[in-house]
Amino acid sequence: MPPSNPLPPKENALFKRILRCYEHKQYKNGLKFAKQILSNPKFAEHGETLAMKGLTLNCLGRKEEAYEYVRRGLRNDLKSPVCWHVYGLLQRSDKKYDEAIKCYRNALKWEKENIQILRDLSLLQIQMRDLEGYKDTRYQLFMLRPTQRTSWIGFAMSYHLLGDYEMANSIIDAFRTNQMKGPYDYEQSELLLYQNMVLAESGQYERALQHLQKFQNQILDKLSVKETSGEYYLKLKRFKEAEAVYEDLLKRNPENVMYYEKLVEAKQLSSPDEKVAFYDDYKLEYPKAIAPRRLQLTEAYLPVFERLIDEYLRHGLHKGIPPLFVDLRSLYVDESKADTIEKLILQYIDNLAKTGVFSTKPDEVKQPASALLWAYYFAAQHFDYKQDTTKALFYIDAAIEHTPTLIELFIVKGRIYKHAGDPVSAYEWLEEAQAMDTADRYVNSKCARYMLRAGHVKRAEDMCAKFTREGVPATENLNEMQCMWFQTEAAAAYQRLQRWGEALKKAHEVDRHFSEIIEDQFDFHSYCMRKMTLRSYVGLLRLEDVLRSHPFYFRCARVAISVYLRLYQHPLQDVPQTQEPDTENLAPSELKKLRNKQRKAKRKAEQESALAAQVQVKREQHHKARQQQEQGDPEAPQLDELVPDKLARAEDPLEQALKFLQPLRTLAADRIDTHLMAFEIYFRKEKPLLMLQSIKRAWRLDSQNEHLHDCLLRFRTWLDDKQAGLPTGVTTVIDKETQPMFKGRSPQTMAEEFVAGPALRSQRGALWGARALRRLQPAPAPAALALATRLDLPGLSIQGCVEVLESLRAGDFGECEKETEQYVQACRAKFPHALAFKPDAPPADDAQPGDFALDN
Amino acid sequence: MNIRCARPSDLMNMQHCNLLCLPENYQMKYYFYHGLSWPQLSYVAEDEKGHIVGYVLAKMEEDGEDNRHGHITSLAVKRSHRRLGLAQKLMNQASLAMVECFQAKYVSLHVRKSNRAALNLYTNSLGFKILEIEPKYYADGEDAYSMMRDLSAFTADSKSDCQSTENLEIKSESAIVSQC
Repeated sequence: MPPSNPLPPKENALFKRILRCYEHKQYKNGLKFAKQILSNPKFAEHGETLAMKGLTLNCLGRKEEAYEYVRRGLRNDLKSPVCWHVYGLLQRSDKKYDEAIKCYRNALKWEKENIQILRDLSLLQIQMRDLEGYKDTRYQLFMLRPTQRTSWIGFAMSYHLLGDYEMANSIIDAFRTNQMKGPYDYEQSELLLYQNMVLAESGQYERALQHLQKFQNQILDKLSVKETSGEYYLKLKRFKEAEAVYEDLLKRNPENVMYYEKLVEAKQLSSPDEKVAFYDDYKLEYPKAIAPRRLQLTEAYLPVFERLIDEYLRHGLHKGIPPLFVDLRSLYVDESKADTIEKLILQYIDNLAKTGVFSTKPDEVKQPASALLWAYYFAAQHFDYKQDTTKALFYIDAAIEHTPTLIELFIVKGRIYKHAGDPVSAYEWLEEAQAMDTADRYVNSKCARYMLRAGHVKRAEDMCAKFTREGVPATENLNEMQCMWFQTEAAAAYQRLQRWGEALKKAHEVDRHFSEIIEDQFDFHSYCMRKMTLRSYVGLLRLEDVLRSHPFYFRCARVAISVYLRLYQHPLQDVPQTQEPDTENLAPSELKKLRNKQRKAKRKAEQESALAAQVQVKREQHHKARQQQEQGDPEAPQLDELVPDKLARAEDPLEQALKFLQPLRTLAADRIDTHLMAFEIYFRKEKPLLMLQSIKRAWRLDSQNEHLHDCLLRFRTWLDDKQAGLPTGVTTVIDKETQPMFKGRSPQTMAEEFVAGPALRSQRGALWGARALRRLQPAPAPAALALATRLDLPGLSIQGCVEVLESLRAGDFGECEKETEQYVQACRAKFPHALAFKPDAPPADDAQPGDFALDN
Repeated sequence: MNIRCARPSDLMNMQHCNLLCLPENYQMKYYFYHGLSWPQLSYVAEDEKGHIVGYVLAKMEEDGEDNRHGHITSLAVKRSHRRLGLAQKLMNQASLAMVECFQAKYVSLHVRKSNRAALNLYTNSLGFKILEIEPKYYADGEDAYSMMRDLSAFTADSKSDCQSTENLEIKSESAIVSQC
């Protein structure tokens, strides 16, 4: 199709050169040629040239001008596919994918068969998961370019993603027979495996198996062939064949836990004795492998367990394997196993200390001196796990005395203090460990994390700075590297410090990483089709679909949501203006002192702001340098800078909280906290149906949850209050849906029933029960207080006590200074190391209500 | 600990492990690049909860048909999980895949001159040889040893025919054992 507004030959040649310059990233030259056309008054308003000039400017980072030129070009030539395509590209570079899709569609209106535009459109469609649209576009590309392999692949893939496996399979079959002519290379191999994946996903395992067998000579990835055929055999209950495959796989990798599990399945073993015997065989066959020995311990029961664990422990202590405890920890769910381990380890320590052997049996071999050290080390972790701080410290100190230079010991000592509620000693021991091997980033990271737990953010940053790029603040480098463990921990630390803006900044930073990682897939849509790594590509698409189900996101979202809720309840005051003190009534000497003080303060402030300015300049320089470095993407949209103070003063904190919540509602729907947080937001927004939905979802997960009970109670009370004003349709639904939960009870009865039963099941239950009582009118205050401060219930923890204490100090239970002091003392007796209960402990500052504490 | 080939859903957790353990870090896209270009070559070690405690991130250097070789971009094992032989096991799995899927002749890597523990692992346990010193290879100015390991033991008779895979694997397995 001819251009809608053609240029004469000379100018047209220039225009073509602009296009070439754009493709070859010679943007300056491109601008020169554009100028040559536009400076001719006849073509000063030539749409396509203006648009291309804009696109070129965009690549040079001149975004505003870019939009100006592209829009002007488009206005001058609305029927030009080039102008629309260019506008789409511009929007795409700004990640406005929906807009870009519209532009491409407009472009295609004027030029239906433009391959480049169709290709660009298909990329956006798959990025946005418009699978139907993607299929249509891939179909067109296929019809237009039936000889290109990407046409076939994209065509097949579009059907696969829509679940039309037959069609996808047929296309690949046709492609392979018509287009793929040997030699059998990696790409052919990957394609066959992809086709096999399609067949398997259609549920036709028999067919998939045959396909695999037929083509296995052409497949290079032998591991995949075996792993998938093993799975098919199992699905088809062809156990003998499955067995052979997994036997074979174990030869390759005797440390793969799944292979053993599948073998157990194939051999149809069920009793513990059978399984123990099964692992005996593989211990013999693979004497160096750890997996069969370790897996056997999970299956075995006393008395066999004792013989096996004795062997395992001795081996580990003899060799000096530091992760011995970490490796065995999961056995502790079985108390009898934990007891056996304790008995043995104490026996070893006793004998090793006296005679250097493991037991009093006559044929014991003398152990190296280090065996005792490792036994102490194990015992310390064992007792730490059992929350016996005294014994844990005793053994770790014995170990340190034995060998004062072993870093692992100091790490464990720190951990014991952390568990005992003393985060300060905890990080001090980690500092000790860190100083012993400054080149080890693992210890460094651990130390920094412990500092964050203790609320020392600055110190943690300085610690991290030992491994971040020089000349850049550590936090900036960590952010650039998407270091989410640090940012989530820092967010939580700031939240505990009540530095709301900083906490939000960290949470937003993590959230942005997730957005960025979703953006990252863009380039792989075309890349993987060329590389033929289609199985992994589908894996990537599926991963990106649920990316925010990652625990890092959950943690940052939880911080953000509770901070926003808090800020909604207690908006920040405007920065207080420093008031001029009343100077008139001051004695001259006092006045002089005051003036001195003010002068000093002023000087200090000036110095600080000068320093801040310097830092700012440095940061800008760094940004510039980086932008120049990353020439790859000067067109990328600039994100707003995250300013803590601005974030903490968000105008719509509930809306902001909802933004963090939204992904969780689908991706973390199995976590009750998701729905409880949702309720807290919708309760404040007074959205009855959404409150109902949140409560129903939480109820389905755990109808006994303590916090859920509180939500129910508040919902009930709210309804009593507001029902009259709600449309009948709404109240009918609510009445019907809440029936199984409210059972026609009044708030009063609900609270009383809860307090009499579920509340007594745990410390946490008691606190929520007490809060429930306080919500009643009139509130039985003494009863509530007594319930909240009970220390004789199951699930007692330092964190639980701290929560209660915060609730007391926040005034959830009214004036109760004396009771609070008594509670602190009682807690101190229970947890003597815990800083939170020390007499000189920094109080929970200007105590503020907890996240979801009483607020109405 | 479980050792298995890495999947796309492991890549984020590999990045996390890397950031905890090593000074050289990469953005997620670089992990995706590895996982989507050479999906067979990266391996992870995970604990019972599925947390990654070690990984090897590997790639192919495709400069010319007759110089096909693998390269270890990053290898880490958490300090809390040392001395279980994980690094060695991860490396051997990755090396076998390099030979099988990409006909690699050797595998190369860089290591900090000061990292004696790693150097020891590579030379003594895995049969790497120092090729040369690359001055100022690392961002902080430290030199690197450029090292390589011949993979012909893994290749054994893979040339003969794909039919005889059974044979090949037994042999390459024994090769792994002999080098451990």
